[in-house]
Amino acid sequence: MSKYHNLMQKPISRREMLEVCKGGFGSLAFMSLFGVLPSACGGPAKSTLEASSLNLGPHHLPKAKNIIFLYMDGGVSQVDSFDPKPRLTKENGQDPRKKFKVDATQFDNVGKILKSPWEFKQYGESGMPVSELFPHIATCVDDIALIRSMTSQFPEHTNANYFLHTGSGLQGRPSMGSWMTYGLGSENKDMPGYVVLDGGLIPPGGLDNFKNGFLPASYQASVLRPGDEPIANISPKETIKDLQKQKLGFISLLDQQQLAKIGEVDAVESAISNYELAYKMQSSIPELTEFKQETKATKKLYGFESDNPHTRGYAAQCLLARRLVERGVRFIELTCPKVSADRWDQHGNLKEGHEHNAHAIDQPIAGLLKDLKSRGLLEETLVVWTGEFGRTPFAQGSNGRDHNPSAFSMWMAGAGVKGGTIYGRTDEYGYRVIENEVTVHDLHATMMHLMGINHKQLTFRFGGRDMRLTDVHGHVIKDILS
Amino acid sequence: MSFNLLFILFSDNPSDTLLFFGRFHPLIVHLPIGFLLLAVLAEFSTKWKKFKPIQNFIHYIWLLGVISTFFAVFLGYFLSLSGDYNEDIIFWHKWGGVAILILSIVYYFISKRQISIPVQGNAILLFGIAFLIFYTGHMGGNLTHGSTYLFEYAPNPIRRLAGLPNQWVPRKNLTLIDSVDIYLDLISPIMDKRCISCHNLEKKKGDLNLTSFSSLMEGGESGKIIIPGDKSSSDLFRRITLPANHKDFMPTEGKQPLTGDQVALIGWWIEKNAPSTGYLTALNPNKEIIDNVNRQLGLDDFNFLRKKVQPPKKEIIDSLSNNGFILNVLMKENYFLEANFSLSKKKLTPNTIETLLQIKKQLIWLNLTGSNVSDDNLKKIGELERLMKLNLSKTKISDKGLTHLEKLEKLESLNLFRTKVSDELINVIPKLPNLKRLYLSESNATEEIVSQLKKSKQNLEIIFDSN
Repeated sequence: MSKYHNLMQKPISRREMLEVCKGGFGSLAFMSLFGVLPSACGGPAKSTLEASSLNLGPHHLPKAKNIIFLYMDGGVSQVDSFDPKPRLTKENGQDPRKKFKVDATQFDNVGKILKSPWEFKQYGESGMPVSELFPHIATCVDDIALIRSMTSQFPEHTNANYFLHTGSGLQGRPSMGSWMTYGLGSENKDMPGYVVLDGGLIPPGGLDNFKNGFLPASYQASVLRPGDEPIANISPKETIKDLQKQKLGFISLLDQQQLAKIGEVDAVESAISNYELAYKMQSSIPELTEFKQETKATKKLYGFESDNPHTRGYAAQCLLARRLVERGVRFIELTCPKVSADRWDQHGNLKEGHEHNAHAIDQPIAGLLKDLKSRGLLEETLVVWTGEFGRTPFAQGSNGRDHNPSAFSMWMAGAGVKGGTIYGRTDEYGYRVIENEVTVHDLHATMMHLMGINHKQLTFRFGGRDMRLTDVHGHVIKDILS
Repeated sequence: MSFNLLFILFSDNPSDTLLFFGRFHPLIVHLPIGFLLLAVLAEFSTKWKKFKPIQNFIHYIWLLGVISTFFAVFLGYFLSLSGDYNEDIIFWHKWGGVAILILSIVYYFISKRQISIPVQGNAILLFGIAFLIFYTGHMGGNLTHGSTYLFEYAPNPIRRLAGLPNQWVPRKNLTLIDSVDIYLDLISPIMDKRCISCHNLEKKKGDLNLTSFSSLMEGGESGKIIIPGDKSSSDLFRRITLPANHKDFMPTEGKQPLTGDQVALIGWWIEKNAPSTGYLTALNPNKEIIDNVNRQLGLDDFNFLRKKVQPPKKEIIDSLSNNGFILNVLMKENYFLEANFSLSKKKLTPNTIETLLQIKKQLIWLNLTGSNVSDDNLKKIGELERLMKLNLSKTKISDKGLTHLEKLEKLESLNLFRTKVSDELINVIPKLPNLKRLYLSESNATEEIVSQLKKSKQNLEIIFDSN
């Protein structure tokens, strides 16, 4: 036994576990039957866990197997997208301070009440109102459950981003994707279980939004970025194939020796599993990003033939997301396309900024929903569209809107979600929630519920506490579930 | 001025002002409870030497008690004018309160040594005041919460001691929608959970009692609240569908509102002439109501998923895993499985499919997308009687194989995207009683076939892009 053995809690080696795991995250249950401790087989190992804290695999029958998280970085304005407010049109140009109590804003530049520059029309059998910004997404409303009563606890991007992604406004907690892959594993051994498709703009707060926090390191996101190579160094640099194999074999040998000396340490084990995964990704990633097999019709649906290069770029991301779902990747997040450095954060030039962004994402997202639906993938995939907070119904300066965490809109579509429904209400100005508030914790609880996880039972012991994505909050929003 | 006051006090129609003040009674009344009990305690405490010094100051506590009791009594009277409370209990509560007022005034003067009463009279009076406070207070609790409030969650032996029946247990465990009675299993439980805390025999807000069908139909002070056959004229339905901040909204006072399912069900029940009893299924419920009821009573078609199934044998798991399947357990503490072949690099062989049959009791989801599954293979696959989801997209199967699937009576989702199925759909699909979603894009199905299917199965969602 190594001299560190009493510092380690791991009673069984990762190697032994991987040997008996043949695949499938549900093999867990079997393994415990056969006297072997379970692990997330088929994916990165979780060897630094105490067996008793394992509560892995779905707790109840899941509706969704994968999540596509479409992140609208910067804060989309709710009154300009999915929450029409005729009152703003009526009182356009008036002083908001005379109408209601105005909370402090980030830039302290409270202007007049600003009506929406866009008209709203009703769509689908449900008659859901959608603004002119999203004519394509509007055709999918009968598959969408809209929540108008989202709230955040943070009015500033970095904290709000951490809050949305990790359930805490502070840096360093595991992200949603990490929790999901920790809780459910990943079916495809040749691909990471958690992928972030970087459209050009990493959200404020940086890559910590996608990290594993205190969960084992193999649960962090793999970031794919469009460019010559989807992932840096994905193509082998060695000209002789065998040479790479020999090198990796030697490194592996050294790592195993190190492991034998110090016992199981997450950093080393995750590094080992990362090397193995990276090796496989050399072939799986190029196959993934090769769109030759896709039909012209499919590409057109997503917007590959658009005049707008940003639309084309986002279309590729969406198509990639669908392909990732087909390849069993558990959690896929798309960041905001780099239409402008401001993302959706239009403190000024609301009309121009939101329009350019909307134009880039509208058709591809609609294409994604329709494509997923035709292929029968939508019933197993949860698509989430959200920002980190909303915007003020009164202007910032003359033509922008400042941050508003008190109310914003988001929608979900796909597995287990009741389409064509609207949940929650804001006041007549779209400023604050007045009915059925949904917090970020509630959103996380609901997402986990649809994936078959009871958010209260998926925990990881850290710092003497059984930590959860939802901390000690969150309840499942049953009214939008079908 | 005082004549007006008297008039207001004794007229039949108390003004809003009095009711406004009256509602502060539950707030104010806690002050005399506190002050008077403290005063009683203080008086007794002076038996000990160390508390002797406070003897001369206790009358201040009595004074506070007297003043607050005075206000509590008047506010209580105003509140009683609303007529919302049980008259019998009010009688005892009211006079108990008045007695407390009188006795505490007396003890105030005793405490100041301005009057005195013989021997043990003090102790008797103190006990009397304390007893009256508990008694009157308990009466007050009965007025607001009902006389069974304290026993609601008491263990059954204690309930029986108090003369109550055992705790109400829901009707026998319903497992089938066919056994559901519309009033007893659906409407009545909603009333019990959300309404009767204020609308019962003792506490009859709005003079309305919702604990039985007959009293429900009788209505209250505004008349009937259910008009059979007409939900828009039914005041009960109106009130539960108002915006939550409307003053007439029910349930009121921040109590948890009815869920969308509950509201829809009540509306449907009224439209069906609000029968007092009868099987739900006899009333011709549409799909929405059935789903609604399934959700409310937890009956879903997922009933059979509550059965316990055995874990499959290790050799079978190993064999299937080695031959390209990923097996996923889909819930804790049970072994219903998904078999996913979509990520396999291997070819599907008849042997492997034969092995699949060994887990047919556990297998509910099967994903064969993009595989080499053949029409012939479907003969065996059609024997997987518990399948709920079957994905055959992007395979070469055609009408020949489709026929083999007609026995899959639990099937809810069938994915035939990019397959060669066509006319045989018309024969096979109607035979699948639980089918909810059918994917036919990029198959050989036509508009005609699809529209025929839609006619024969109303509740089936068919996803078909005609281009």
